[in-house]
Amino acid sequence: MSSLIQARGLCKKFGSQVALDHVDFDVQPGRIVGLIGPNGAGKTTALRAVLGLTSYEGELQVLGHEPFRERAQLMSEASFIADVAVLPAWLSVDHAIEFVGGVHPRFRASRARALLANAGITGRRRMRELSKGMKTMVHLALTMAIDARLLVLDEPTLGLDILARRGFYDALVNDYMDDTRTILITTHQVEEVENLLTDVLFIDKGRIVLDSSMDEIAVRFAAVAVSDDALAAARAEQPFHERPMLGKRILYFEHPNLERLAALGQVSTPSVADLFVAKLTRGAPA
Amino acid sequence: MNIYVWLVKREFWENRAIWIIPAAIVVLLTLASLFGTIEATFFESAERTRSMAGMMFLAFGALFFAAMSIYSYWYLLDCLFTDRKDRSVLFWKSLPISDTATVLSKLFVALVAIPLLYFAAADAASLLAAFVLSVRAHSLLGNALWQPEVWVQLQAIWLYVIATTAIWYLPVTGWLLVVSAWSRRAVMLWSVLPPLALILAERLFVGTHACLRVIGERLLGYASTAFNPHATEWADQWSGNPSSGAPSAWRILDPWGFLSSPSTWIGASVGCALIAAAVQLRKRRAEQ
Repeated sequence: MSSLIQARGLCKKFGSQVALDHVDFDVQPGRIVGLIGPNGAGKTTALRAVLGLTSYEGELQVLGHEPFRERAQLMSEASFIADVAVLPAWLSVDHAIEFVGGVHPRFRASRARALLANAGITGRRRMRELSKGMKTMVHLALTMAIDARLLVLDEPTLGLDILARRGFYDALVNDYMDDTRTILITTHQVEEVENLLTDVLFIDKGRIVLDSSMDEIAVRFAAVAVSDDALAAARAEQPFHERPMLGKRILYFEHPNLERLAALGQVSTPSVADLFVAKLTRGAPA
Repeated sequence: MNIYVWLVKREFWENRAIWIIPAAIVVLLTLASLFGTIEATFFESAERTRSMAGMMFLAFGALFFAAMSIYSYWYLLDCLFTDRKDRSVLFWKSLPISDTATVLSKLFVALVAIPLLYFAAADAASLLAAFVLSVRAHSLLGNALWQPEVWVQLQAIWLYVIATTAIWYLPVTGWLLVVSAWSRRAVMLWSVLPPLALILAERLFVGTHACLRVIGERLLGYASTAFNPHATEWADQWSGNPSSGAPSAWRILDPWGFLSSPSTWIGASVGCALIAAAVQLRKRRAEQ
C-alpha cells in the first residue's frame, strides 16, 4: 500500500536557521504516528509543511497532493487541529457548524451536534463565552465530524487542565479512532498518547533520529536495571544511555543481546518517554 | 460558487459593524428629522425649498459615503490581519478553501457588499427624512421634498460612484490588503508609513517628487477623472441659481473619460498585482 504521507529530502530554512534538514519519512494508512521532539526540533515546521501552511524544499506528497500548492484540495480529505483554542471569539457554535457544513463536502453536522450534546455545549454560545477546554472540545467535535483520511494534531491539548486533556483523548479514542483513520500527532505530554500510538518519529535539530513502529521498539530496544556490582559488565554491552534510578542504574540498549542482559539485571521495554530522553540526551552517559 | 456565499456570510457574522454603522446613521438622521427644529427662513420661496431638498439628499449621500470610506479602510486593513492575530487562521486554513477564494471574498465585501449596503441605507435615510419633514412641516414644505427626478439622478450617481471608485481606488485597496496580509502588528501605521517614507526618501536623496505626484494623483484625482468639469456647476445649480431649470446629473458623469483614461487602467493593473501579492502573502503567513 502506498504511503499517505511521503517526505523525501524535506528542507526548511528560516534565514540561516535550519528547521528541517533533509528529512525523509513515510506515514502509512491506518497508523497513529507520534512526531516527538524537543522544543525547536522542527516538529511544528514539519507538520506545517505537511498541512500546506508553509513553503518548503524537497519532495512532499500528502494524500497525493503537494500540500503548499494544493492546500484547499488537500483539506477536503485531511483535517487538523493546530494549537489550542484557535476558534475565533465572535463565532457561535451554531455558525461554526453551519459554516463548516457549507464549505466541507465530508462534514456531517448531525455528528458534530451529537458530539457537542455529549459534551454539554449548546449551540447559541459564542467562543468568547466558553472556557479554553470547552473551545477545544468544540474544535475537536467539528474536526471529528469530518470524514477525513488524515487527521493531524499539533499540541492539541497544550495548556489545558488534566480533566480537559483526558476528555479530549477519551473522545478521540472512543468516538473517532478506527482502522480507517490515520493520525499524525505531536505533543509534549508523551505519556498521554503513548498507548494510542502505533509508530513514533523522533525528531531533533531538524533530523529524524528514530523512525519505528511500537512493535519494533519492543524488539529493538531494552532497558536494564543494573545494580552496582554488575555495572561494569553491563557497560561492556555498549548501552547508548544510562541514568540512576533508586540506587540502581538503568542502561538502555539498542539491538540488545537479551540473554546476556537478562543475567545482569531486570530487562524491560523502555517507555516512549524514556526512550525519547535516552535518545535525545547527548554526550557521555549521565 | 457556493463557497463564496459562505465566505461572505462569514464576513457579516464577524464584522457586524458592516450593517450596524449604516443602520445607526439612518436612525440618527431619522431622529434628527423628527425632533430637529425647522428653520422657516429656509423655505421662503419654492425655488429655495426645492434646492434645499436637493442639498439635503446630497448631504445625506456625502455623509454615508464618508462613513463608508472610513469603515472600508478599516475593514480592508483588518480583514487578513485579525485572524492571524488571534490565531484562528489555523482553523480557517484547516478547511478546503483556497487563499485566493478567501482574499476575493473580502475584496467582494469591501468593493460591492459594503457600498451597496451604504447606498441602500442612504436611500432609506433620505426617504424617511423627506417623509418625516414633509409631514411635520406640511404648511411650509408641501410635497416639495418629493422630487423623483432628483431622486433618480442621485441613484445613478451612487451606482456610478460605486463602480468607478472600485476601479480607481483598486491600487489603494490592493495596498491595504497587502499590509493586512503581511503586517505582524500596527496595520494602520504600516498602511501609511511606507508611502510616506518613499516620498521623503525620494525628496531627500533624489530631490524629485514623482512618488508624491503619483500617490497624490491617485488619492485626489478621482473626481476630475470620473466627472466632467460641469460637476461643480451642477451642485451650484441646486443651491445657488435654481432659475436655470432642472439640472441634469447625466451631464456631469463622464464614464467615457473615465474608461478611456490610461491612469484608470494603469491603476487597476497595479491594484490587481497588489491583490495577487496579498494572496501569496496569505498563503505564506499562517500566523502572525
